[in-house]
Amino acid sequence: MRVLRLALCFLAMAICALPVCAQKIAIIADHVYTMESGAQGGPGMVLINNGKIEAVHAGATAKAPTGYEVYRAAYVTPGLIDTDTTAGISGAYNIPHDQDEDEATDPNTADVRSLDSFNPNEILVSYINQYGVTTIQSAPGPKNPIAGRAGIFKTRGPQSPAATADQLAMRAESAMIFNLGDIPKSTYGSAHKAPMTRMKTAEIIRHALSDAQAYQQKWDTWKKEGSDASKQPSRDVRLDALLPVVNGTMPAVFTAQRADDIITAMRIANEFHLKYMLASVTEGYLVRDQIKNAGVPCLVGPIMQRLESPQTANATYEIAALLEQAGIPIALMSGYEAYVPKNRVLLFEGGIAAANGLGMEKTLRAITIDAAKILGIQDRVGSLAPGKDGDVALFDGDPFEYTSHVLGVFVNGQLSYQRK
Amino acid sequence: MHWTARIGCVFVLVGCLLSLSSGMPAQESASGGTLVVKGAKIYPISGPPIEHGVLVVANGKIVAVGEEGKISVPAGATVEDASGKVLMPGIVDSHSHIGIDPNPLVADSGDANEMTGPIEPALRALDAIDPADPNIRMATAGGVTTANILPGSGNVMGGQSAYVKLRGTTIEQMLIPGTIGGMKMANGTNPKGYGRRDLAPMTRMEEAALARGIYEKAQQYQEKWAAYNKAVAAGDKTAKAPEHDLGLDPVVQILEGKRIVHNHSHRADDIMTVLRLADEFHYRVVVHHGSEACKVTDELAKRHVPVSYTMVDSPGGKLETINIDMSCPGMLEKAGVKVAFNTDDPITPSRLLLRQAALAVRGGMSTDAALKGLTIYPAEMLDLGDRVGSLQAGKDADFIILSGEPFSVYTHVLQTWIEGQKVFDRSDPRDLRYATGGFFEAAHYPSLAEGGK
Repeated sequence: MRVLRLALCFLAMAICALPVCAQKIAIIADHVYTMESGAQGGPGMVLINNGKIEAVHAGATAKAPTGYEVYRAAYVTPGLIDTDTTAGISGAYNIPHDQDEDEATDPNTADVRSLDSFNPNEILVSYINQYGVTTIQSAPGPKNPIAGRAGIFKTRGPQSPAATADQLAMRAESAMIFNLGDIPKSTYGSAHKAPMTRMKTAEIIRHALSDAQAYQQKWDTWKKEGSDASKQPSRDVRLDALLPVVNGTMPAVFTAQRADDIITAMRIANEFHLKYMLASVTEGYLVRDQIKNAGVPCLVGPIMQRLESPQTANATYEIAALLEQAGIPIALMSGYEAYVPKNRVLLFEGGIAAANGLGMEKTLRAITIDAAKILGIQDRVGSLAPGKDGDVALFDGDPFEYTSHVLGVFVNGQLSYQRK
Repeated sequence: MHWTARIGCVFVLVGCLLSLSSGMPAQESASGGTLVVKGAKIYPISGPPIEHGVLVVANGKIVAVGEEGKISVPAGATVEDASGKVLMPGIVDSHSHIGIDPNPLVADSGDANEMTGPIEPALRALDAIDPADPNIRMATAGGVTTANILPGSGNVMGGQSAYVKLRGTTIEQMLIPGTIGGMKMANGTNPKGYGRRDLAPMTRMEEAALARGIYEKAQQYQEKWAAYNKAVAAGDKTAKAPEHDLGLDPVVQILEGKRIVHNHSHRADDIMTVLRLADEFHYRVVVHHGSEACKVTDELAKRHVPVSYTMVDSPGGKLETINIDMSCPGMLEKAGVKVAFNTDDPITPSRLLLRQAALAVRGGMSTDAALKGLTIYPAEMLDLGDRVGSLQAGKDADFIILSGEPFSVYTHVLQTWIEGQKVFDRSDPRDLRYATGGFFEAAHYPSLAEGGK
């Protein structure tokens, strides 16, 4: 009997350890925010089957079909999407053991990938999952002008089964991260290395992109001339990494705080015809007309970043509202923190944006469907629509209220966190 | 002197002081007469909330608080209608570095940590506080009216803190008359910074030994003075006064119970070291930050040692804060430990101090304890409980007007008043910037300086 029970137990564990658990879930809520078109916040029911959203039924009298495990909540939203964070590669302990976000040995580390630093068991990944965050773009840190490639991952919660970084990755290489402003020049300049100035930071980026273009041409010429194996150009991993950026198939993310750094990012991106977005954009409201005219989306945040640095001293809690009102596509991000708190929580950042001009529903858009669209993953996440991943967050009140609680979080239809 | 003449004198004096505060934004003066704020839901803290309350203020002091219709409103008073709004005492921040770690914080401006010696009792925060620091106005935008501005936590004994009101253009105008401030101490990770330079302290053992050393020295100094005073009292004209010691005088004030020790401490074992030292030398102490205080609730409760808690958004950033948890303040409350919330500005922003208490409610604390943790409890931790922290007749007229319930994310601080003077008004575009941000841009983008964004 005991053996049988043990065997059943292992079987159950094995089933649930699969990427998708074949469980049927019904979530009944007073306020359902599908983030699809149409009115939001009415009563309804979300059905999850086989890890995917099966259906969303509107109406207060919704009763769960048989065979479904039922969860109830006041508010239900899609799992939240953090568009730019170092969670997973910059750990909570903040000791060399768990700090893998900045390869500050060379200002150009285009060839590195956050995937190869990503620790699926990191405390902070589980922590943000408990606040409804189910998808993150985990990006290399702020120190290098060309910092490397970000990846998009699902999060694990305290109740999630074990998983590898590769299993959590939705996109192993989602974007190339570029950093402007004070941090690269203070990182290297203090050791009398380049960059020591903003001029050099821009030059390093421009140089690398120009080299990548030349490298592409070399390969194109070689192919045009018959791909003679004896004349094949030698491979360069760093330039290989930059090829999709100069070819416009991989977005470039430019992290910039000061208005002039934002303009520099746009100048470089235009020169090389990059597909790009701006990140952080602390002073973005001062140049919002230029950003709007360029049609470039902004990853905004962290809204509660400290103002001590001269390049963040102009930060405003109204940044998301000001950019949104200008007609700029926005999503929120939690970014990187070097000290306490080690990680910003997207849900809390959203609260400050919501209370400072953006409002509840638009803020929710900026951390769900609009975030998914900007990252190009809206076919899988960002709204509660049939066929999308079963990523859902349950709340006992307005998600942004300080005193509300996250009741539960589903990732791929699996319960990753449930409030005790 | 006849009593009316005496009041007249005080009146003139108050008027003088107020006219000195020219660095503050334009404000309506309530000193010239009586101010009545009516219609708001009032949280007096000293009693249950009043749905339609009236607050009467004169000469910078609270004259009366009560239900509309039950309070006599003096004729000729300036009436402020706050219907539909919420009014509560000004927030007391028991741990802040505004003015001493100003904004922007660069090598030239930061003055919180004198990292040249781990025991620095002679240092005074007030000698390094810049009243022009925009962080101070940001704090008033968050509803903070009283603050304990402390030296940093790099030293075992970092220096004397300053108890201030957030008004005035000089530190003398900010200091609360009659107060001598507290003493900053720290243990755990931060003072071990010396170890990286092969200096003491390199271990927690040495931190405690250094603390014990200064208290023992102060005890001996105290005894020397006691012997001298006794000899003088006995008529001994040959008695020679001991030399005054700038550093030991404030430590003796700790031993005499006149100066409270504000001890930065995160880990449970570090908190126990704080308690052990306070037990040995019988001094009054507040545990600051207290990230793992909920692991030693009974030890704190039985000694009546309060905690000034710093709520941050995620665990870690340093090893000793890895167990930080939103449920901690509520657990301390249940154990009978008084909890205040502090900003530790610039670690958390002063303009969001209400948020910290709200998150404690999310973690299980009662609304009542959370409100007290922003007002009367921190006031008591600074020995200012008879002066600020609740709305009672005779106390300082420090209050804030909110757009809604204190613990809603959508609530904004609309006005902040200190001793009957308005120091922040969200409807003024120049003040609004200190609540939302972008105040720094005026220096860089003059065309945007006035209101427009």
